[in-house]
Formats: sequence, C-alpha cells, structure tokens
Amino acid sequence: MMERFYYPFTALVGMEQAKQALLIALVNPRAGGLLLSGPKGTAKSTLVRSAAVLTKTGQLAELPLGATEDMVFGSIDLEAALATGTKQLRSGVLFRAAETILYMDEVNLLRSDFLTAVLDSAANGFFELQRDGICYREDVSYTPVGTMNPEEGTLSSAMLDRFGLFVSLEDEMDANARVEVVKRVLDFERTGEEFWAVYAEQERELAEKIANARACLPSVEASEAILELVAQYCARAYCRGNRADLYLLEAARAIAALAARSYIMPQDVEQAAMFVLPHRMGQPPQQQAPAADDSETDTGQDENSDDSSDESPDAPEENAPGQSEDDSQPEKDADDEPENDADEDAEESAAPPLEGENQDSGDDQTEDAAGDMEQVFAALENMPVPPMSIENHFEHQKREGSGKRSLTRTDSRLGRYVRAELPRGHRGLDLAFDATLRAAAPYQRSRSGKQAVIICPEDYRSRVREKHIGANIIFLVDASGSMGAQARMKTVKGVILSLLKEAYQKRDRVGLIAFRRDKAEVLLPVTRSVDLAEKLLRDLPTGGKTPLAEGLESTLQMLYGLDRRDKGQQTVVVLITDGRANATYDQDDPVVRALQAAEKFSRTPALSVVLDTETDFLKLGIAPQIARKMGASYYTLRRLSAERVLRIVKSMQA
Amino acid sequence: MKRKAVYPFTAIVGQEEMKLALILNVINPSLGGVLIKGEKGTAKSTAVRALAALLPAMQAAKGCRYHCNPALPNLLCDECRKKLSDAGSLATEEIQMRVIELPVSATEDRVVGTLDIEMAIQQGRKRFEPGILADANRNILYVDEINLLEDHIVDVLLDSAAMGVNTVEREGVSYAHPARFVLVGTMNPEEGDIRPQLLDRFALSVTVVGEHEPANRVEVIQRRLSYEKDADAFCTSYASAQQKLAQQITAAQAMLDTVTIPDEQVAKVAAMAIELGVDGHRADITVIKTALTHAAFFGRQEVSVEDLKAAAHLALPHRMRRRPFEDGELDWSQVESLLV
Repeated sequence: MMERFYYPFTALVGMEQAKQALLIALVNPRAGGLLLSGPKGTAKSTLVRSAAVLTKTGQLAELPLGATEDMVFGSIDLEAALATGTKQLRSGVLFRAAETILYMDEVNLLRSDFLTAVLDSAANGFFELQRDGICYREDVSYTPVGTMNPEEGTLSSAMLDRFGLFVSLEDEMDANARVEVVKRVLDFERTGEEFWAVYAEQERELAEKIANARACLPSVEASEAILELVAQYCARAYCRGNRADLYLLEAARAIAALAARSYIMPQDVEQAAMFVLPHRMGQPPQQQAPAADDSETDTGQDENSDDSSDESPDAPEENAPGQSEDDSQPEKDADDEPENDADEDAEESAAPPLEGENQDSGDDQTEDAAGDMEQVFAALENMPVPPMSIENHFEHQKREGSGKRSLTRTDSRLGRYVRAELPRGHRGLDLAFDATLRAAAPYQRSRSGKQAVIICPEDYRSRVREKHIGANIIFLVDASGSMGAQARMKTVKGVILSLLKEAYQKRDRVGLIAFRRDKAEVLLPVTRSVDLAEKLLRDLPTGGKTPLAEGLESTLQMLYGLDRRDKGQQTVVVLITDGRANATYDQDDPVVRALQAAEKFSRTPALSVVLDTETDFLKLGIAPQIARKMGASYYTLRRLSAERVLRIVKSMQA
Repeated sequence: MKRKAVYPFTAIVGQEEMKLALILNVINPSLGGVLIKGEKGTAKSTAVRALAALLPAMQAAKGCRYHCNPALPNLLCDECRKKLSDAGSLATEEIQMRVIELPVSATEDRVVGTLDIEMAIQQGRKRFEPGILADANRNILYVDEINLLEDHIVDVLLDSAAMGVNTVEREGVSYAHPARFVLVGTMNPEEGDIRPQLLDRFALSVTVVGEHEPANRVEVIQRRLSYEKDADAFCTSYASAQQKLAQQITAAQAMLDTVTIPDEQVAKVAAMAIELGVDGHRADITVIKTALTHAAFFGRQEVSVEDLKAAAHLALPHRMRRRPFEDGELDWSQVESLLV
C-alpha cells in the first residue's frame, strides 16, 4: 500500500477529548473502537490519520465507501488459483488491518452490513465466512475507528452502541487556537518535512508512551470495588445490555495503562465514562410509558414552545438548561409518543430524582466516587446529542435496517457494485469480471486455449448493484381563510426547507400544493433544490374558502405524473387541514366531492397521512373521514410545529 | 479531423469573479477548487475549457501513470517510490497541466479504476487499471452539473479530495495512488443542491449571472460570431492577451511561497470565522491561502486588506450555515468591517 505523509498528531491544536479517546482505543482494542462525530472541517479525518504512526504497524488500514464485498471479507486468490488450480484465500481488509486502526471515513454512509461485520468481528476477535466455494474463519485484531458528519446522515442506536467510545467534536471558538491551527496547517503545507522535524521528538515520545501502555495493559487489574463502580455507572445511565460495562472497564484499564499504573482508580472510570456512555444513555424505566394509540388526540400543553423551524432533529444541539423542567411531566402526544428521540433521552434522564445514591455498595472507594459520578452525568447531559437516527425509534417500522439511506437493489447498470452473484438469465448480463475470473480460475488446468484464462458460460457472475432511491414527499396544505392559515403555511415552509436540507443524504424530493379560494395551486413542484424552494416559497398567499376536493385532485395529478416519471419511487402525501371543505368549482357538495377524491388515493401506491388541525370546540370530524377514505394515518394536532410534522413525515418514510 | 481552436479565456466578456477564482486555483492548486453556480448559458463550461490553454507546464516522473511530482517524494505512487529507492533518482519529463472531465454518467469503476481485464484474461495476472482519478492527479478535475452526480461517485470524490489519495478496494484489486486535483464543478442550483460535505471541499465558490448590460450582451454575441466564423483568426487576435495572462500566472506561481501574511490579519480572519459561525477550520485556512495567492497574482509580497476582502468574497459564501427562512446572503459590509 502506498505510504502516506500525514500531519503530526502532536501538532493538532486542542481536541483533547478526541485525542485521549483515540489513545485509549489504540492502547486497548477491547475498548470497542472509537466514533468521532463533528461538523465538516473539524479535523476528524486528520486526527485519525495522524495516529497512523502511533499504531503497531505504523500504518492505517482504510475501508473506503466504494469497497466491494470480496475485498472486505476476502475471496479466492485469483493468481494462485490460475497458477496451482487450487482455491486459496486472499484475505480481505478485515484481516489485513491486523494490529492497526481500521479507519472508516464517513462511517454513517457505509453499508450497514459492512459496518456490522467490522464492529462485531472486532468485538469477537474473528470472523467466519462461507463464500466463493471456500469457507474460512480468520482471527482479526484491529481497532475500528469511524468518523462522521451528522449533517450527512445518522447511525441507528444499535450501530452507535457497537462503538465502544464516542466523542463529539465541535467548532473551535477560541480565536487564538484558530490562528494557531491556520498557521500550523500553512506551515505544514509549505514545508512538510521541516514541519515534521519540529514534532518528531514529541511524536516519538507519544509512540513510546503508547507502546509502554500496551505492554502494561495485561497487568492492569480491576478490583471488586471498581467493577461495582463500573456497574453503577452503567446502571445510572440506563444502558441496555452488558456491552457498556465491558467497554467502560476496558477503557478505564487503558487509561490506567497510559498512566503506567497496574490498578484502576475511580477517576479512570470517571474519565472513561465520558467516552463510553454518551451514545448509549438510555431512558429511565418509568419514563417509558406504554404507547398510546396513533389516533389519540393531542392533550396537554406543548413541550418546547420555541418555534422549531430551524430545528433539525438530527443536528446535535445542546439542550437549553431550562428545558428539562417542562419535560419532566410525562406528557404523551399522539404524534410523538412512540418516539424516544435522542434529544429527550438526555433531557429526561435529568428529570427523575437520582436513584444511584441509594444503591451504593457501601464500599469506601465507590462512596467517594458516587458524588463524582453525578458530576460526570451532569457533564454528560451538557454534551451534544449523539447523531442517532430517529426512525429507528418508531415502532411501526417496516423496512429492514438498511440504514439511513434506503438502498434498493437496482437492475439498471447504475448504482454501486457491491457483490457478484450467479446471473439470472444471460440477457443483458452485467458481467462482474473479477468474480467471473475467480470462478473460472481453479478450472484452468483442465481447459485449453490461446488465452491464459478460458472462461465458460458457467463461470459467469453478474454484478449486484445498489442505488439509493429517495422518496417524494408532497405536502397538501389548507391555505384558506380559516385562522392560522398563515402559521400553517409558514410551518410547512420550514418543514420543506429542513427536509430539503437533509435531502442530500436521502435523495428525497419535496413538493407543495396549497388550496384556497376556488382552486388548488402547485406552489412548489417536486424538487430537490433548496434554492428553488426558497425562491418559490417566498410569498405564501392565504385566505379565501377551502376547496379541499380540488386540492386532493391536484395532488392525484401530481402523483400520476411522478409515477410515470419514476416507477418504484416511494411517495408520501401529507395533508394538513382542519377538515373543512366548503368550496368546489362546481355546485356539488364539497364534502362529498372531497371524500370521492380521497378514495382515489387508496388505489395509488402512495402512503398518506392526514394532520388534522381542527381546533373548534364543536368538531365537524370531516378530516378523520377523509383519512379513512385515503387509507391514511391520521393525527390530530392542536398546535402545528415544524418539528412534529418532520417527525411524522420521517416515521412515514421508515 | 482538425479540432477547432478553443475559445480563448481572455475573450470571455465579464464574469470577473469566475475568471479570478479559476486563475487562483491554477496558480495554487492546493487551494482545492471552485464551484461555479449559475444558470445555463453563462459561459461556465467555456471558461473551464478555455482554462486549459493557460495551464502551466510541470515536471513529472517520466512514464508515471499518475504523473507524480518528483519534487515531493512524500506524495509519490508506489512505483515511483520504488524507482526512487532503487535508482536513487527519478527520470522526469515536462508535461502540461490538463483539464480532465468527469462526465456525470461515469461509472464508479471508470472513476476510481478497476481490475485490468485484458491483462487478467491474457496473462492471468492481476493489475490495476487506473481511472479518471489517476488522470486527474495534479490536474484539474472538471465535473459539469456536479449536483447531478450519483451519490456513490460523490463519495469516492470526497474520499480522494480529502486526502489526495485514491484508495481502491474493489473487484479483486487493493490499491492506492495519489489523486490530488483541483476540483472544478459547475451547477445550476435550480436542479438540486449538492451535499454539504462536497460543498465544503470546494475552496471557492462563485455565482455567475448572465450579462444584463445591453452593450456587454452585444459584445458577447459579436465575439462569439467572429469566433464561429474563423476560430483561428479570432484566437490569434487574443494571442498576446493570453500570453500575458499565462506569464502573470507563472510569475505568481514562482513567488507564491514567499508571500507573507501579517499575524494580525490571520487573527482577524479567525475572529471573522467565529463571528460568522462557519463550520470547521476550512474557512479560515482557505481565506488565508486564497489571500496569499491573490497577492501573488498581483505581484504583492505581503497580503493586503484588499487581498483578504477578495479572498473572503470567494471563499465564504458557500460556508455560511443556512437555516430555513434565511436566504444565505452575506452582509458584505459586515464581513468587510471585520477584516479592516
């Protein structure tokens, strides 16, 4: 592999938490590897790559996003098969990453089966595979390290839980530090080797420290008291399963080893907790009230009363300190009850009285530590929320976990080549040359011809490609004169722009139809462009009567058009109305016509959802009827907020 | 067939920001490219293709598939590194920097490279067949309509752009080679946006609009017509302007490494980045590198406030955090007041 010239680790300004976590991961692979999350340009990759010289082999192994399955897990050795006619294994990246960091940049975009294999094999110390007519088991010994920008997509809580350590990087806000960063980077780019020479001594010392820590690690003992402390931490964090305990203990051992101690001290556990717990904090059991029915009406007051138009649930945001009080009363909204969004995990766990204090083991050492523990948890709660995908919290999830980007096998020749399989029919064969060659290789001795490799039809393997297919989301919004139309439209605009900003990763497209006066208007044709949406949605006309039937008809037309253009793409229709239908272009009964139009939706493959904003004391109850005819999910919302609509839309897509 | 002469860069009317951004990237390829946003028919592609004629010559390892830079032993490909350690030196040749196009329809194997099928079948040996990223090393990689590029191609572009190395783990080939390129992308924002991560990789961004001034529009048409009529004659009439610009670029390249920036200006840039709330350090680094390059282009040994302002104009617009209800427009007077 090509040798690389990396920026020196010790020349990185700040990032102390991330550096420490990386050292722990390097010293003790059993601490479960590291996930670094942060906005673009915060030197995530630079940090990981600069640690190459600190590994045992002095080099990183990288798992690029475009890797194919055979290269990840291993496959038949083509050249050996040709030379000897035997099936020999050529090891994949997992094996080749022995004793070093297996680095996954943009890990949130990696195929989830690869990521699962990488993380599970690291935990198990081996992987086993049956493929290409050979079966094998290989021992592996790498430290998985992933970096991600939450803007580009999140990870499921199950994936997050498989990483031992987690650090969230933030933008540097200290001007002096920023100046220093810029100066060093420019220096490094201009002088390269000379720059390195300045840090060579520090690098050498750090490498030595790590090597010593590694040597010392096996002798680091954990006392009974420490084991109990670890268990207390994990219980206090409501961690599910026992992974947390193990990772916490192993991380604490690494910290002790780095300090050249053969015993673990409570503060080692404390420090380790800052890396091991943030991404796996659970909810206290009493907060997990039984789920209410979907159609239940919104009760109670609203949770956070800020206008959440700029709030994207994926973006790590710090919780404003005052918020936790509002949330402590378990209040169940129809729309967001099944979700236990990461935001609230952090908030809610702050609310109940702390139980950990009563569960004390009575051990001296841990008693002292109990007070510190609360400090650790106070700090943990102030940390940015880990980038967890909220879809996975919804119970009615249909698609199996192919990750945030819904990947679909494609039969066209577009998309990423992920693996090869026996072709289904030879017509239009998308030949996987490498796999075909491997299939042919062992039989070459019995075949003869002019070429070195004779390929017979039975060797053919075709490519399996995957492509991300996004969804179309159409909003159909009541812009008629009833009170709140302005607010409704403004909220929807916020939702649309948020969705579009996420659309880079999801390839979703969004459209908006509004109905008012005597007609429905396509305000935004289905698009992926934020620019276009901003331009077209600058003015949002409202007022007039409510031609619901026209709105539905117009949406149907859009649906038919989309279906013609892009077969197989999922479409979600979101109807936001108070269910009043009091106008049609002709003189028919507006409600009857609306119901007729609604019925046509049930015959389209589109998924639909009706958000009922009827607030009148005397409810007309038309919206539920419309929803029933459409075959739509139905929610009532006393107050429409961008965040709620977003959550509902996301749950529909899952 | 004789190819028609390329429309000269210096004959493009107006679009000064776009031309400046392109030139700065030629002078200093380590800047990291430019994203040109605009409607169709605003001379985006013409400008990028015209740039080819102004590209300077460079020293490259002889016969290397990645045209490695012999002056930077740390960035050599495996083959060159081996040659260097075996022979003690590398044979070099002078080659022209080029514009390599990446069509939106390109497949991943063509972009990153793949198994050399011919070699495998005929000789039973495995060899890496380089792709577009190999060609792009030390050159300009041009992607027209970059916002329409498929996700998985964007992923590999990002990977290479980040480290200057193309890592291949596919189709039986495990390989890595240098891939440092100046990424030039054009897009029409109304056809969809590009991913934030990719956006951030572009050092500079410019928005081009069609000429509104009637006199300029006439000038555009007239030049186009006379070019269509006799391309060679048209190019000849711009030969001296072209030559002058090419010399200015070469001179700027030569002095770039010696241009300095006063510490207090670096501090101003850092303060500005904090004030504007940009993500990461790339904004600061890019503004300063662009200012250094801008100073070199105008023959200044030290970065002036004017250089910083020009750099901010090019490097900041696409790095502002945008939220719903904001149209992402920068208040330039505010930005400039932070720099003075």
